[in-house]
Order: sequence, then C-alpha cells, then structure tokens
Amino acid sequence: MSRGFQSRREMLFSALGGYGGVALSSMLAEGASINARATSVISLFMSGGVSHIDTFDPKPALKKYAGQPLTGRGEVVVRQGHPGPLMPSPFEFHRHGQSGLEVSELFPKMGSHADEFALLRSVYSKSNDHVQAHFAISTGMIRMGFPSLGSWVSYGLGTENKNLPAFVVLYDAHGAPFGGPANWSAGFMPATYQGTVFKASGTPIVDLKPASPGQRERLDLLRELNEMDAAAHPGNTELAARIESYELAYRMQGVAPEAVDVSLESEATRKLYGIDNPVTEPFARQCIMARRLIERGVRMVQLYHGGLGNQNTDTWDAHEDVRSNHTKHAAEVDQPIHALLTDLKARGLLDTTLVTWQGEFGRMPISQRGMGRDHNPGAMSMWMAGAKIKGGQVIGSSDEFGYKAEEQPISIHDLHATMLHLLGLDHTKLTYRFNGRDMRLTDVYGERIPQI
Amino acid sequence: MIPAGLMNLRLIAGFLVAGFLPGAEPLFESSIEPLLRTRCWQCHGEVVQLGRLKLSSREAMLAGGEHGVVIVPGKPEQSRLFRMVAGLEKPTMPMGGVIEAAEVEAVRKWIAEGAVWGNTKVVPAGDWWAFKKPVRPLVPAGLNPVDYLVGRRRGSVAFAGEASRNTLVRRAYLDLIGLPPTPAQVFEFVEDRSTDAWSKLVERLLASPHYGERWGRHWLDLARYADSNGYEHDFDRPNAWRYRDYVISSFNADKPFDRFLVEQLAGDEMDRPTPETLTATGFLRSHAKVGYREKDNPEFRHEYLDDMIATIGRGVMGLTVQCARCHDHKFDPIAQKDYYRLQASLFGYVEVDHALVPSAEHKRLSDSIDARIRPLRMAVREIEAPYRERLLPAKYARFPENVKEAIRTPEAQRTPGQALLANQVIRTTGVSSAEIDRVAVAEDLARKRTLIEQITAIEKERPAPLPVAMGITDGDYRSTPDGPGDEPAPGKGGAQDPDAGPFLHEGPGRYQAPPSYFLIRGDVQSKGPRMEPGFPAVLVDGDVKTAVETASGKTSGRRLALGQWLGSAENPVTARVMVNRIWHHHFGAGIVKSIDNFGKMGDLPSNLELLDWLATEFVRVGWSVKQMHRVILSSATYRMDSRFEDAASAKADARNESLWRFPVHRLEAESVRDSILAAAGTLNAKVGGPAVFPVLQPEVLSAMTHGIWNQDKDGPEVWRRSVYVYRKRGLPFPMFEVFDLPDQNVSCGARNTSTVPTQALTLLNNDFVLSQSKHFGRYLEESRPGDRAGQVELAYLRVLARRPNARELELGVKFLAGQPADAFAHVLLNLNEFVYIQ
Repeated sequence: MSRGFQSRREMLFSALGGYGGVALSSMLAEGASINARATSVISLFMSGGVSHIDTFDPKPALKKYAGQPLTGRGEVVVRQGHPGPLMPSPFEFHRHGQSGLEVSELFPKMGSHADEFALLRSVYSKSNDHVQAHFAISTGMIRMGFPSLGSWVSYGLGTENKNLPAFVVLYDAHGAPFGGPANWSAGFMPATYQGTVFKASGTPIVDLKPASPGQRERLDLLRELNEMDAAAHPGNTELAARIESYELAYRMQGVAPEAVDVSLESEATRKLYGIDNPVTEPFARQCIMARRLIERGVRMVQLYHGGLGNQNTDTWDAHEDVRSNHTKHAAEVDQPIHALLTDLKARGLLDTTLVTWQGEFGRMPISQRGMGRDHNPGAMSMWMAGAKIKGGQVIGSSDEFGYKAEEQPISIHDLHATMLHLLGLDHTKLTYRFNGRDMRLTDVYGERIPQI
Repeated sequence: MIPAGLMNLRLIAGFLVAGFLPGAEPLFESSIEPLLRTRCWQCHGEVVQLGRLKLSSREAMLAGGEHGVVIVPGKPEQSRLFRMVAGLEKPTMPMGGVIEAAEVEAVRKWIAEGAVWGNTKVVPAGDWWAFKKPVRPLVPAGLNPVDYLVGRRRGSVAFAGEASRNTLVRRAYLDLIGLPPTPAQVFEFVEDRSTDAWSKLVERLLASPHYGERWGRHWLDLARYADSNGYEHDFDRPNAWRYRDYVISSFNADKPFDRFLVEQLAGDEMDRPTPETLTATGFLRSHAKVGYREKDNPEFRHEYLDDMIATIGRGVMGLTVQCARCHDHKFDPIAQKDYYRLQASLFGYVEVDHALVPSAEHKRLSDSIDARIRPLRMAVREIEAPYRERLLPAKYARFPENVKEAIRTPEAQRTPGQALLANQVIRTTGVSSAEIDRVAVAEDLARKRTLIEQITAIEKERPAPLPVAMGITDGDYRSTPDGPGDEPAPGKGGAQDPDAGPFLHEGPGRYQAPPSYFLIRGDVQSKGPRMEPGFPAVLVDGDVKTAVETASGKTSGRRLALGQWLGSAENPVTARVMVNRIWHHHFGAGIVKSIDNFGKMGDLPSNLELLDWLATEFVRVGWSVKQMHRVILSSATYRMDSRFEDAASAKADARNESLWRFPVHRLEAESVRDSILAAAGTLNAKVGGPAVFPVLQPEVLSAMTHGIWNQDKDGPEVWRRSVYVYRKRGLPFPMFEVFDLPDQNVSCGARNTSTVPTQALTLLNNDFVLSQSKHFGRYLEESRPGDRAGQVELAYLRVLARRPNARELELGVKFLAGQPADAFAHVLLNLNEFVYIQ
C-alpha cells in the first residue's frame, strides 16, 4: 500500500508495530459487526485429501454397484493414471450421539462429538491439484499470491495479545503441507498479516531466542540512539513504531516460548491429548499448542496434519491403498482432536472458538491402482464446531456415489463467507485496496451457509 | 483498506468525471442502461450476439434475434424481454444470473413508457488525464525544470534547504547503487570542494556496475522474476538467471527503455535477434507456472496469458487490463474485447529454450552418443526380460481377491469393471532393476554390469550442455512436446487438436498464429468470435499496426507490433508510467501514488505538470533512464534535508505531497542485507552469474516441499548482493520476506513498508546478522586496536557515512568499556538511521 493511502487502521498497525492491541477491534469500521459469535479460529487441515466416502459420508450404493464402471456422468476426469471401477469403503460406519450422525470406524473418538459439530457433505473445490486446492482453502483462489484466511482475520480483527502474532501456523512434524508458505502468506497485504510458523519444540519462532547476556545493554543503547534520531524527524510515526517494535520483540522472547510449552500442562491433560502415545504425540502436541495460543488471544491457529515428507505415506494422499493410509492417519489425529474439543469445552473456550476440520478435496468413488482412490474436488466433507453452532446437523449431500456435491453445493467462497460471518465480519465489506480494486477474500462470490 | 468515507468520495469523483450525477436521471440512465451493460451485453452486445440478438441499441433491440421480436414498445406483457426477465417465459434471463424484483419492475415500466433509448450523457471514455497524451509545460529558461515545477505545486509553503554532504553522499549511494559508501568514498565527495562535486558523484554512481543491480531489481519485481516455477513441484529454472542478468546489464548499459520493452516482448521477432534479445523474452516466461501435466490441463495456458496481460497492463501501461477478462472493465474504458485483442497479440507464444551459441555440432555429437547407447540398453533389457516375467506374478499378491481375479481373467472375458481394474493395476505394477539383480544368476549379472559400465563410459563423452536462455517464440501450443507428468490417457483430455500445426514453424510460407477467441465471461469453454490482435482502444490514436512482417517469417510479428506501440510516444501512458516509477524509487512515493494504476480507481497525480514534463523529457532524450536520474538528482528538490521542520508546512501538507522536505523512506529488503555486508566489509562484489543459496536454518528449510535449495556454505561465495540470492517461489528467503519482499508471483511496482517485531528479531538474533557483526567487530578492533573512540568513529562512518556527534561518541565509548566491538557493531546495524534513507 502506498503511503498516501494509509487507512486509519494501517497507521495504527504501523504505529503499534503490527501486533496492535485490543483497542483496534473497537475501532474497526467497515467489515466488522458486534454480532461476532466467535473471536478465534482453530483450523484442522488434513493435508493430502481426506476421503469423504470413507469418513463422514457413507455410500451404501458403492457396495451395490461395486466393481462396475462409473458411467453416465460425463467424462470421468482423474488426476493420475487410469480410472477404475466403483469401490466401496473398506470401513464400517456407526451412528453417534442423539443426532445419530454416521461416522466411519476410523474416527470413533471424533464421532463421539457428533452432536457438537455441523457436518457439511456438499463442499466442492475448483482444482484436483493438491497445491491449487490448498490455496483455494487457504486464500480462496487457486493461484498463488493472495492473502490467506488468517491474514484476513488478523487484518479484520487485530489481535488481543500484542506479544504474540495474531495468526499462527503449526505444521506437521514431517514437513510443510502442499504449497508450503504460500498457504499462510499475506499476499498483497503488508507482512504484518502473514502467518507466523511456530515450531513444536525448542524456541517456537525462527530468530526468536531467549534474551542473551548483554542483549538488554544492546537494546538500551539502541533505544537511546534511535530516540535521538527520531527527535530530529518529528511526526514520523514509522520511526517511532520501529523503536517500539524492538521492545515488543524483546517481550515476545519471554512470552512466546511459554505460550507453547506443552510441558506446563497437567499430566491428565497431556494424557487426554495422547502425548504419551508415540502415534498421537506429534499431533497432540500441535493441538495443545493451539489451545494454549487461543487462550492467550491468538486469533487464528492453522494446524496441518500431513506434510511432505513422503507424500504417499506422510499425507492423506491415498492413491495406493486407502485402507492402510487412512487407518494410519486417522489413528494419529482421532484422539488429539477429541481431546481438543473436550478441553476447549471444559475451559469454556468452545463457545468463542470456531473449530473447522477438512482436507483440500475429497476422493473418488472409483478405485485407483486397485486399492487406492484418486483426487475428487467434486465433493468433500468437513465439519465446524464451536462458535455456538448447532451440532448434530448434516448440511447438504453428495450424489449416491459421492462423486459430486448434489444438494446445496457449498463452494469454498461460501465457506469463507460463513467463517468470517461467525467472526462478526461481513465478507462483502472486509476489503483491502490493492492495485485500484477493493479485494475480498471471497472475490466476487460467496453466500453464507444459512444453517450455520 | 480505505475508510468508507474516503472511498465514497473517490467513487463520486469517478462519476463526476464520467459525466454521471447520481439522482436526477431518467429511468434509462439510472436503471436500464446499467442493467443492459452488466447483465445482457455479455452475450447480446457489440461483440457477441447469442441467438443473433443484439441489445446494444434501440434499433437492434427492435429488430430482434433469430427467435423473433423481443420488445413491443408500450406493451411489456407482449415483450419477450420483459417476460423472460420476469420469469413468465423460459429460459429466465439473464442466464445463470439473478435479477431483483425492482429491476424487473424497471424493465416493465421502461417498455410501458415506450422503451425510450435515453440520451446517455456518457462523456467520451477517453476523457481522463492518463488517456490523453502528455503536454510539455513551459519552463522558463535557466531554471531547473524539476525545482520550478515542484515549486509551482508547493506554492508559498516553506521548504527545506540542502541536506548535509554526509547525508547526501549516503542518500545517493543507497538510491543509485543500493550500497552505503565506504569511508573513502564518503571523503571523496565531502572533501571535494569543486562546484561540480555532486554531478561527478552522480556520474560515478551511474557508471558503477552496481547501479544495474539496484535498478534492475526494481524491474525484476515488476517482471515477477523468480528462479523456480512455483506451485506443487516448484521446479528449478536453471537458466532463469540469464534473464535477470540481461535486466541488470540493460540498466547498466542505459539501454533505451523503448528498445528494452521491444526486446522483452519480441526479442525473437526483431530483424537480427541476438543472444541478448532472445534472453530478453524471458520476461514473458517469468510467471509462476504449474509445470506439471500442462498438456492434460489446457486451461492453465489461459491463466499464464492472463498473467502476461496483467503484467504488461500494470507494469507498462499502468492499467488493470486483466479486470476485463470476464466483463468490460468496471471503472476504466477497457472493453472485454480489448483484453482478448491483447490476448490475440500474445497467443502464438510457445515456450522454448533459446540456444545462445550455434548448436548443430552439439546435436550431432549428442545424437551419435544416443545411437551408440541404444543397442546396449536393448541388451540389458533382454537380460532382464525373463526375470521380469518370473517376478511379476508375486507382485500381485498384496492385492485383494477381486483385483487378483480381474488380472487372472483372460482379457477377452473381463467384465467392464474388471477391465478397468486389471488395466490400472497391471499398468502400475512393475519389477525394478534392483529387484532383478537380487535374484539374477552370476553370469547374467556380470553381463549386465559390463553393459552398464560401457553405457556409463560412453555417457562421459557427451558434451556439456550448451548455454540456453529460457524464453518464448511463436509456434503452435497444441503440438507442444509432452512435459513432466503429461500422460495422454483415456478420460484425461489433452487430445490433439486435428487443426494443430507443427510446434515451431519451419516453412514453407509464413507462420500463422493458432486462432484465439473472445471468451464469454472469461470461460474457456464459451468461445465467442475469433479475435484479431490489437491494443486497448482508449489508448490508440489513429491507425496502428497490430502485426509487423518479421524477417524470419517464423513468427506472427504481433508481439513485435505490441512492443513497438508500447515503446512509443504514440500511446499516452508508457513514458509517464516509467518516469513515475523512477520518481517513486527516488522519493519513496510516486507523483501518481498508485504506481501500477493510472486508471480511474488509481490516485490522481500530485503534480501533473511535473509528470508530463518528465514524460516528454524521457522521450526527448531517447528513453534514457540514466538521463532521468541526472535530471532528478541535479535538482535542489532531491538534495533537500529530511530533518527540516516547519509547523505551517506540516499543517498545509501533512503528507508532504508537495515535497517541502525530503521524505525519509526505508531500505528495501535486499538493501538491508547488502548494507550489512558492505558495512561489515565482507561483501563479495561479483556481478552476474547463477544464483547463490545462503544458509537457511533447518526449521525454515523444513517448510520446503519441492524443488531445490542447495544450501551453500556460509562464506564469501554467498556474501553476494541479494539480487543474486535464489528466488524460490515456494520458499521466499526469510530475511527478505520479513522486510516486505513482495509476493514473487504477482507483478509489483511499489513494495509495502511494514514495521513488525519479527524484523527486530531478525536483526537481533539471526545467525547471519550475528556473524556479520562479528566480522565487523573484528575489523574495528584490528583497524583501531585499543582505541575505543577510534572504533566508534570508524563504525559510524561505515554504517551511517558520517562521524558520531559528541553524545553518540560518549555513549559508544562508554558501551565499549563493558562490551566487545562486535556488540557495538551489532547495535549500529539495528539503528533506524541504518535502515532508512534520510
């Protein structure tokens, strides 16, 4: 943004070193309303593409037509190799809770929260390419170069804890998700709004270190010299903000490591998340960190499960064998996610936190390489919990095979519009001016999902 | 974000210019014309007439389409236009869109009142300052034109005097070459008492090879240059750096800007293409690219074309042309057909790696090696064949019964489902060479190893790859050779177009570009009429050539015509946009602040006379960028003090738009790193060549999913200028990113300047900064052993190009009494004054 067009918020952010305080949210003009149902978001992203028909969208018709080609739906576009015949899920489905919502045996613990989440079975995406589909979920666009949801949220709401970034990313111990840092980039917005990666162990932020001996002396001298210079440039808020940013950085060095120190949790909590079990330990760690960060006023924590690593074994990308791939990964996340929902509820945080769960696309009802499934952006399932959302409801449906969204198709833009709405932000009014246009997370699209 | 109030003001201003006044308009202007424009003309307008129906004039509307009459004036209920928008007749119009009840009522009322086609008061679309050619203002003889025109705008406001010589020398160095001066360079200027000391300094800097590294970098932002593809695989672009070096050397050579544009758009189409002009076409390949299964996904190409149009639009014309991809531009007079004309100008492009040296001999050698190796490979395969056959059945053991059954069943007897199943498993199951080696008998294994040794020996004779530059030329994209991942298969698309010609035209006859079409709503599947090349009509004055007959006949000459038109004073924007960029980099803000947007949603120029004088001067001096630097830097305006204070001036012009003092602005990310190296005395000043990979922390590297980062050793090899650091789209260099590196995938003329604590953390704790502080500290101790005051003084000269004042000296000496020299050096590298141009 050129200097001439700094908005009031821009100047505030600049003056506050970007990690501006609570005061900001009360000064928000356009885009924000007072009817926010949640103040923070935890997004659980299952990278690689979770199969909806093996998790949250049972398809009995696949048993009936097993082994037959998928016909009558136009050209079947697969991402890799050659289309196979219809393949039923190798997993059983069970009803859960008062709602009787059907969830596959992969997620017994997550299923026990069926009455707490709204299940969306008709979400569709625009690309069958991992990276483009990741960008779609992250930024609304399949192309690189746009601000992520977390950037929009921190731009719209500011932060409640000026010693921590507003938008934190915790990715899988195996590595970053498809598309890497572009998923949490601020695109054309200032660097203030980009996601900050926190590591699961050691000092959490790159270049954040415990204050070294002598650092305070360096900072004191720096401050004194900088103030002499600033005095010669009266009215320059940038120079003043930069002086303040050093004090913020110094405080962050003290606060950030504590914010994600899992060892400070009680034994019972650690056990609940599954820290003691090597299978669940990595994601359990991410989930506890997420809760601790939300507790401390971070706006959005983006978790990724599945990283590259080895694409076929370390992500949900089950081309080879859906049974073994999904069994492995479900076991890694089921307990931690159950614990996260339980813990948030017990601490009274679930009402003000929106928790979402999804991959970047669904998978095909036909087989690939005999036992696997290829990408399918035509239909996917996701759930949303917390934020006072009515749980136990199923929204939309896919066709009898789960090939395409059928009833109430929900685009990624619809999803973003709904998420912003829950945070009290109107997706048509939350705009950032770039290159002569008021840009939106939802571009020119997006309808709120009425049931949420 | 713009505050809502300001936004409204801007909108109203826009309407006023366009001749609209909201409120007292007749129905046609207020409701019908906007409705037609936004909902109907896409398919029933001047360009496209679905059902042969055109709704763009009353006559056309009365004439109707192939399904008959659509309006009966005075009788809405008999008018199909009304019936279809009201839902009384199917299909409901607009197709796929929504229409409000109030709009339906407006249509009814309008037809009932006689369907009067109003006299729209739309002022000619070109009535906007940027669409008219610059007019050179008169400047009284003997005055510096920049000072005179800045002064006219400033009026009676008090303004700053000349900055100190130390401030000026640092400003000029950072501004022109992006490096701070050494103490010797400081004194060379400060102690030069001749009257032309300043102009000599400017000339020294303009002649420096580092000038192009600084000013070329600005252009590379605009060209969204990177060394990798981006997207999933983020493939390395091993030859991209040649385009980067082309840009740097073009700026160093002061290549006329008009020629610079022509080379980048059409270096292959010029009369005598050279390695340099062929390399220049890398401009059109610098966009992010999936680079995988491209043939199977033909729609990708339209995204790349859009990226080129956006980059040329914003970068050269200063217009958001890409907004007209799906509909006419909402604010500027850029029609959707303008977009598709430009697309047609570029549509012949295909990607090629241009050979930079003669390649026939190389190819002959390479082919002969292939020919010698071929029979050896066949022999290996023959040895392996029986083993492969023997081992294969066991590979199917892991599959469930239904799969095994499908494979067992003879091909002719498989059900359709079994055929699919068997096909996908058989095709993806194989026996590897290593698996064969484990079971092969000794004799076979020995024979195979001998053959492989022979192959390896012959491979050693293969000549090293010749230098190539990634670029483009014209051809037929439908015949592109298969690339990574391409696998034409059933259900995959990618079928060859029966009309496709050869990939590259070799004659006879002249090359013809493959057809391109107007795309309704931008949808690749919804083809409108075939398009001819052309430029945005609002910028075109009289007849212009949209294709030039090329000497080789192998290309269409459309890009050449585009380049020649862009690089001329025939259009009103190119010169203005470029001089505004130059001004922006000198003063931290442009005369038009929206650097990439001169359209109606952009900012108005703060000083149009100045902009126009500079633009006309630019053309007059033969598009010499260096001459523009001389013009600007020779002004008193450029040499003003930034510390000047005046309450009345601040009140009259708080944003300093009239330039009553020099605007302080922060160094860009690259200059921060380069300045650290320069201050520490470790900078490796080598110019050009392949990219370097400075060390990244393991936790940063773990975010990398694909592509390369070679992780060079820390040391002089990587202490190169930042323009040579590998630009990886999938992993922006963290130190640059934290200092507002623009997104590497979108053309960017003006970077953000944000101030965040992570910048402080970087400069406080980053290993690179700490180790450079150590080098710097050691240098101070060795240069002034035991002399604390001397060390403080030398450090100030190196970091800030000035001596410390008394207080600074006192503080520094006191600090050094308890802390090592590298700690002091580290503090100075964190100073505001260090990262700002004052």
